[in-house]
Amino acid sequence: MCLNRPGAAGGPPAEGVLVADPVLRVEHLTKVYPDGTRALSDVSFDVARGEFLVVIGLSGSGKSTLMRCINRLIEPSGGRILFQGRDVTAASRDQLREIRREIGMVFQQFNLVRRASVLTNVLTGRLGYTPPPWALANYFAAPVVDRAFANLERVGIPEKAYTRADALSGGQQQRVGIARALMQEPQLILADEPVASLDPAMSHSVLRYIEELNQKDGITVVCSLHFLSLARRYGTRILALKAGQIVFDGLPADIDETRFKAIYGDDALEVEIT
Amino acid sequence: MGPVGGAGASGGVSVSERIRAERRFRPWFRSWRFYIMAAVTLAVYVYGWQVTQIKLPELWRGAHLIAPLVTALGSPDVAVRDNPVQQAAAPFDYGGETPPPSAPASGPAVRLSQSTGHAGQRVTATGQGFAPNRRGMLEWENQIGSRQELVPVATDGQGRFAATFDTPDVMGTRNTVFADIVSGVGPLRLSATFFVVLDRMVETVFLALMGTTMGVVFAVPLSFLGAKNLTAHIPGGRVVYGLTRTFFNVSRSIEALVLAIIFTIWVGLGPFAGVLALGVHSIASLGKLYSEAIESIEGGPIEAISATGASTLQILRYGVVPQIVPQFLAFTIYRWDINVRFSTVIGFVGGGGIGFILLQYINLLQWRQAATALWMIAIVVAALDYASAVARERLV
Repeated sequence: MCLNRPGAAGGPPAEGVLVADPVLRVEHLTKVYPDGTRALSDVSFDVARGEFLVVIGLSGSGKSTLMRCINRLIEPSGGRILFQGRDVTAASRDQLREIRREIGMVFQQFNLVRRASVLTNVLTGRLGYTPPPWALANYFAAPVVDRAFANLERVGIPEKAYTRADALSGGQQQRVGIARALMQEPQLILADEPVASLDPAMSHSVLRYIEELNQKDGITVVCSLHFLSLARRYGTRILALKAGQIVFDGLPADIDETRFKAIYGDDALEVEIT
Repeated sequence: MGPVGGAGASGGVSVSERIRAERRFRPWFRSWRFYIMAAVTLAVYVYGWQVTQIKLPELWRGAHLIAPLVTALGSPDVAVRDNPVQQAAAPFDYGGETPPPSAPASGPAVRLSQSTGHAGQRVTATGQGFAPNRRGMLEWENQIGSRQELVPVATDGQGRFAATFDTPDVMGTRNTVFADIVSGVGPLRLSATFFVVLDRMVETVFLALMGTTMGVVFAVPLSFLGAKNLTAHIPGGRVVYGLTRTFFNVSRSIEALVLAIIFTIWVGLGPFAGVLALGVHSIASLGKLYSEAIESIEGGPIEAISATGASTLQILRYGVVPQIVPQFLAFTIYRWDINVRFSTVIGFVGGGGIGFILLQYINLLQWRQAATALWMIAIVVAALDYASAVARERLV
């Protein structure tokens, strides 16, 4: 088996699959941190509408940087990102806010405001659509509050609305994170290791919610995961990163022993998470 | 290299043997460093003892001077009784003229063995018609109404008493001898001293409140400029950060008491000078604590709220403020607590508050009044200390 590694003799260049009218197009994305670390080099791929794209790779392979470059939480050093045809990398501050509010994000550490209530945390998902001065009065319109309760209902914890976020278990906190992303009515959800801080049972529960959003609501998902078994179970397509470069882009079924070792190194053993 | 820790695996010494050999263990009494350190320490304390003029015998020699204050602590001037008093009077003239005889036939009356004479004579006073078995006092009032105590008296079972006294050397000729017998037990009421002290304590607490408020009003905006994580992203942020932190450190190093002296020159004696002194000192201390609270906030929630498309104002409101408000409140309550304690002494330099009258009472040797002020300070400060501890525990 030959890997799609750039410069590898006989293989085509590591270009991701290009599709017509993608939700997200990443072109020659490069990120070099101020300390000289090259986190991403020349990464290009497309994400078609309705895909559940799983990004895998070792710690430090650039998964988190890639996720954060897409909505410019991290400024890319080079390349271009197009979200529904709009250039994210060239967007002004106001344009960027409009782009960001259509991209929901779910984090490994949940990133909830711990001292605030669950409801407030969910409502913050709507800030991109709310006039900024309303923040001074902590005011949200009644339909937005109704929607927040509906989304909490959807992730199964409506009774926790007035509980402080840090009083919840990890799995519940991540469900609040998903409800917050849902408030944005997103076209795309970026999930950065959403289950890495959870135990296996919780992992499936959280991933099933994301899968449901993908299948029922047609929200495109880009999700980074550690476990290949989870990637195979939930992904419709897998993108593997190694040292900031794409080393595999294809169907979950196509990852065999050789490819696995190429992604994770020769010493790696595949472990199942059930 | 071979495997580590395999002692004797290849004839060499083990790692632990090598490390132990490198660091030689020597008992402390064999080390010359110990004797040098001991000599230096001894010299420092001998000099310190001399320079601070520590004279332990003074504690015994001066004990009688502090004793009145210590005993007064057991009987502070807090409550007094309005006891009913039976009074009778008899004239005594210096200079020979015979005064008109005293009239009352019934009720309490006092008679003197003589009603004219000169200073230094022994006179016997007899009383009758008073309440039986009570105590009282014979008093001498001179021509201009100034009174002095002569001797204590006590009535017998028939309400009579007899006492002798020496006529005092006073100005004027027409004098009156009064017999005041406390005839009953009146209701307790709070003393005038208590209300004076309470009034000043209220002033003290509000002095601290206003000073703390002044500190908060200026420290909150300044603390954002003194937080490294926030200033790092703005142009010239390093300079702003450096200037703010320098201001905090310099103004914190000036004691509030020194500031109070400076402000009494500026705005005159009184609580306003105290408010300014505590305020300026609080700006610096609170500013530093607030800045550190801001520096310790988590980046995660801010990242998450930025990702929803929130504006800077919204990020501050929902990402930053919830993380810092509880800590800010806790620090503010703590500062107010410190300021109440401090404002009790700020009166010593004329900055208003209870310290001002405490100093007065001590200078006038009014120990019971001073004791009232000391108790008031102790109780109010301890109560606020406790309340602030409870409040802070709930917040953080």
